[in-house]
Amino acid sequence: MKQNNMLAMILAGGRGSRLHELTNKVAKPAVSYGGKYRIVDFPLSNCANSGIDIVGVLTQYESVLLNSYVAAGGRWGLDARESGVFVLPPREKADADLDVYRGTADAISQNIDFIDKYAPEYVLILSGDHIYKMNYAKMLAYHKEMNADATIAVIEVPMKEASRFGIMNTDEEGHIVEFEEKPEHPKSNLASMGIYIFNWKLLRKMLLADMKDADSHHDFGKDIIPTLLADQKTLVAYKYQGYWKDVGTIDSLWEANMDLLNRSNELDLNDPTWKIYTEDIPALPQYIGPNANIDKAFITQGCVIEGEIKNSVLFTGARVGKGAKIIDSVLMPGVIVEDGAVVQRALVAENITIGAGAVVGSADSEHIELVSKRVKGVE
Amino acid sequence: MANALGIIAASGTHIKVEGLQQYRPIGAFSFLGRYRVIDFPISNMSNSDIDHIQVYIRNKPRSLVEHLGTGRHYNINSKRGKLQILFSQNSSENDVYNTDIAAYYENIEIIQRSHQPYVVIAPSYMVYAENYDALLQTHIESEADITLLYHTVDNAKDAFLNCDVLNLNRQKGVESIEKNRGSAKNRNIFMDTYIMKKDLFVDLILKARKMSSMITLPQIVNASCSELDIRGVSHKGYFATITDFKSYFDANMSLIDLKNAQNLFNYEWPIYTRTNDSCPTQYFASADVKNSVISNGCLIEGSVENSVIGRGCQVKKGAVIKNCVVLANTVIGEDVHVENQVIDKWAQITREREIVAENDHPGYIRRDDIL
Repeated sequence: MKQNNMLAMILAGGRGSRLHELTNKVAKPAVSYGGKYRIVDFPLSNCANSGIDIVGVLTQYESVLLNSYVAAGGRWGLDARESGVFVLPPREKADADLDVYRGTADAISQNIDFIDKYAPEYVLILSGDHIYKMNYAKMLAYHKEMNADATIAVIEVPMKEASRFGIMNTDEEGHIVEFEEKPEHPKSNLASMGIYIFNWKLLRKMLLADMKDADSHHDFGKDIIPTLLADQKTLVAYKYQGYWKDVGTIDSLWEANMDLLNRSNELDLNDPTWKIYTEDIPALPQYIGPNANIDKAFITQGCVIEGEIKNSVLFTGARVGKGAKIIDSVLMPGVIVEDGAVVQRALVAENITIGAGAVVGSADSEHIELVSKRVKGVE
Repeated sequence: MANALGIIAASGTHIKVEGLQQYRPIGAFSFLGRYRVIDFPISNMSNSDIDHIQVYIRNKPRSLVEHLGTGRHYNINSKRGKLQILFSQNSSENDVYNTDIAAYYENIEIIQRSHQPYVVIAPSYMVYAENYDALLQTHIESEADITLLYHTVDNAKDAFLNCDVLNLNRQKGVESIEKNRGSAKNRNIFMDTYIMKKDLFVDLILKARKMSSMITLPQIVNASCSELDIRGVSHKGYFATITDFKSYFDANMSLIDLKNAQNLFNYEWPIYTRTNDSCPTQYFASADVKNSVISNGCLIEGSVENSVIGRGCQVKKGAVIKNCVVLANTVIGEDVHVENQVIDKWAQITREREIVAENDHPGYIRRDDIL
């Protein structure tokens, strides 16, 4: 807490059911991305790089892997004295029965005691399943400068897509005057990124009231923000510019990976001043064989490439055999594509083997094919 | 669990690697892109459950100390384990005084105070995988006084010239240790790896000091061959020594072949190193990469053939890298052609369009150099 008097809470309980088999056993924040990362590495690294020392991670759905993954705070440098990553699944308390987190706000309400222990002045609420780089210290500076009670990060989205988002209508000075969840006729294109800074004293009071409200959904977007507006509190929008992706579907997860192939991709994972940290897995460097052919690819350590790679992203330990072709595809960690197989416009899930000579995906499919079961080779 | 103190020895004063060694000790040399040479002996010890490890450094400690840190990345237990970095006072008047024995003698109390009854001594300038726990069991069962590890080679006439060889009798007893003078093809190259009781190790240090200030550990062991039971154990698998510039180049090159690499790297025997959190490597449409080992964090637009590329390198459009060992964070500019070179860290080659050395006589580009 020494650095900026702000504590972060990452909401990481969601399943992400539109990711199908990818989230059968792990929560969405634990899904692999970008060759060597998991999605939750982004908010965690952003916290570490923004000088936030205490991070609570609220987990619920299939949390075994996620809990052990984030608990090793040293991976993100969050392991100094008075610093740490704390896993916060729902728990039984002396004065309350064990209950699931009923909504995003309830997840925080049930951990008021945790936050109180550190007595922060500000609390930062984040989603565990967004891919972006953001300096929360700058957002906090803006929050202070505007003398706000709450600051909400927003991003400009194309007007025609605005009705898919929670839209903030602001006045000229950036004060939020209205919040509309997925409006049919949007008045602005400033979408909420689900990133909030609250003055803890105020939020604490609101949460205690919200817990007792039988009609509440216990949700930040549906309940807390509208109540703050109704109470005429000072809410400001903090405009973020840069890469931001909420990967809800197989298509969008594939697309977010493909974005990395662009020369000037905005996410720029190679920026030495804002590294994204992740688990350190002992693996050999990339082995590119004598007959390999690589044309636009993002490849990480542990990969062994003997075939042809075109416009694809390969994750830790993926292997591509002789004569195999990987085109416009994503191979997740440990995928093996045997000799002569062809993978096109597909996302192959962790540790799946594509047998020799097999063909998966097709060049003109509408959607990206998710391959989550072993594919037998052809004789 | 190996009940032994691990000692990782600095290279002797007779070993000189032109170029690279003026910046760091051999243990800190970048190896196969993402590793440093010392990762191999430390990982061997860590995987053998040796969790008290001493690393001896003779000079230029900065990069090695930075790389080793607390040793946490080597999976050394943070409470029960210990990684000690020990410096020895260099005698400035004459380098011949700076022997391994002098370094051990200076730290003899620390060695004596350790709780382990055995010592495993391994070099920081050789690359191999070995289970020291199994080796220690072999040593104990054989009831020998000292066990030495060796590797049988058939090219000792023109390689391993800075190494020692073991002369063995039929029962694998060590009759003598001598320098490899390149007089025979088939030799048992001594891997500078010893196992013995700690008390015997301390006795040998004290005995050596009484004989001469210039004596080394292999020399005192050689001098003890008649009175002690010293045995050789043969090592199988990949083995390389970094004892001159050519051997450094060759060792990197040999591991481009995945079959060779599989003789060294094994899923069950991980080689740990310090991560620097670089992102995956980006290959652009103009890239052409064949038969190479590439580390993370690179941006590749040119062609790379038969080379090892370190972390965070940039290979610009039209650049050609052939038979090179390229260390981290270098820039190979547009249309630059480099062949048979070791290019040290942070070098930038943009003006000179062609730097080509002959096969078998690799060249060296200095660290931080701008060409």
